[in-house]
Amino acid sequence: MTARRRVAITGLGLVTPAGNDVASTWATLQSGRSMGGPITIFDASGFSTRIAAEVKNFDPRAVIDDRRLLKYANRSHAFALAAADQAFADAGVRPTPATSPRWGLAVGTGMMGMGWPELSSLGLAAGDGEDVDPERLLASDTGRDPMVFCRAQNAAGLALLGRRHGIGGYATSVHTACASGGQAIGTAMKLIRRGTVDCALAGGFDSMVNPVGLAGFCLLGAVSPDNDDPTHASRPFDATRNGFVLGEGAGFVVLEAWEHALARGARIYAELAGDGNSLSSYRITDSHPSGDGPIQAMRWALADADATPDDVDYVNAHGTSTPMNDRSESAAIHVVFGDGAGRVSVSSTKSMMGHLIAAAGAVEAAICALSIHHGVLPVNANYVNPDPDCELNLVTGQARPHAVRVALSNSLGFGGSNSCLAFRHPEFDGGRA
Amino acid sequence: MVDITQQDIDTVYPKVAATIADALGCDEDEVKRDASLINDLGAESIDFLDLVFRLERTFKVKIPRGKIVEDSRGALSEAEFEQKGLVTERGLAQLKAFLSEVPAERFRAPLKVAEIPRLFTTETFCKLVIRAQRA
Repeated sequence: MTARRRVAITGLGLVTPAGNDVASTWATLQSGRSMGGPITIFDASGFSTRIAAEVKNFDPRAVIDDRRLLKYANRSHAFALAAADQAFADAGVRPTPATSPRWGLAVGTGMMGMGWPELSSLGLAAGDGEDVDPERLLASDTGRDPMVFCRAQNAAGLALLGRRHGIGGYATSVHTACASGGQAIGTAMKLIRRGTVDCALAGGFDSMVNPVGLAGFCLLGAVSPDNDDPTHASRPFDATRNGFVLGEGAGFVVLEAWEHALARGARIYAELAGDGNSLSSYRITDSHPSGDGPIQAMRWALADADATPDDVDYVNAHGTSTPMNDRSESAAIHVVFGDGAGRVSVSSTKSMMGHLIAAAGAVEAAICALSIHHGVLPVNANYVNPDPDCELNLVTGQARPHAVRVALSNSLGFGGSNSCLAFRHPEFDGGRA
Repeated sequence: MVDITQQDIDTVYPKVAATIADALGCDEDEVKRDASLINDLGAESIDFLDLVFRLERTFKVKIPRGKIVEDSRGALSEAEFEQKGLVTERGLAQLKAFLSEVPAERFRAPLKVAEIPRLFTTETFCKLVIRAQRA
């Protein structure tokens, strides 16, 4: 029997509210500084929640030297292009015409392709009432702009990344709400394991900081209404938590078959060792109070990684800061770790960068790789009031130096999709024959 | 239709060149008068749709899609202009006259109909705009 291929994480790229690259994001996550603030991208003054964690000072044309490609890119696509560029530069390897078919691409795609200006213009143009007037629609600037249609495609991000980097092998777009980024990276891992490709670019991107996205989350009561104190609004696992802070951005990793990475002397941040995916099949926007769903995802990820709960030193929680998610996820962590639940360190980096939705799992995967690489656990900021339903060993106050053998990253989505990724320290061989 | 003079072209040229540069994501000084948008500036099919849309907006005119190719046939019927995807001899003569701004040596038989857009230059789009303005 041939041994299963191992998968190395050799490149990272991040554009997040905590920083527009890996170094600045990582520095923020160690500082415990929360990046929530008043929404500036559009006028949110009439909304019940008027705060978000925005990507700041990001000029696509300054970081992506392909103006034509940017024509096809909406805000979240530009984040993706920038983060992917960083990941390739960091890895020091990229597809060539010869290796292109052996490169894969898996992307957790943002929820919304069409921005408010386009939607609004279409609505205004298309008719006075509920009926569409095709003539008016087709005569409108938005209705006849082919770029609006191109940018709005759900596969647009995938197409742009593939084209920019000359990726010629298996490519797929994943959308499972907040689990998207994690599942995309897990999918890429399986492509390499199966031998479909040798290397992959994987990650996720999103920006829902727009009127339609915000309105939806306000309607569901999912976002924190703490407009007067945006830097404390995201407080995962705190007893007073009252919703998430909407974030935006992109995270990408370069994955390589282990031997491929070794052969070129690559720096390996961590091994992407396992993924577990479950569907709660419970309710659309509620998590199961028992933790059912996330429990299976974590157990399967550990089994897939040949690891046991005892090997785990860090869990990067989904930890949205909604009352329900954090309670349910805490319950799941207690079930999976049993008596060891008090030993394993847990933090939700959403406390600092907000919830990046389809990008969250990808960005947090990169954070797990960094935690293993640096032996430092990022902070769960804004934790003050213990909640008896969320008794966890949270990394509070400041970043915690801690060697990490195995890390888990949870991403739990609306609709019940649960993704858990397992990462191993490159030199940790526990549990393996 | 009254002939289009060089002066007419010069009038619209700066805006057309700027629009092409925007649409193709290149610098304006790369947009030469006789540059083939496909061969020299790397335009793709979707870029033509985008460019025509931008020209309509810039000049506040209506340009039906596929207008250049349709107009280039002149008085010839489709069968007279092309046979089995290739431009006929008469078709080529008509095309040379219609695309008078394109250097003559670029018209090489056999010319596939699908390859006609390769001939289009910056000035071709100037003429397109002028015809739309006069329509």
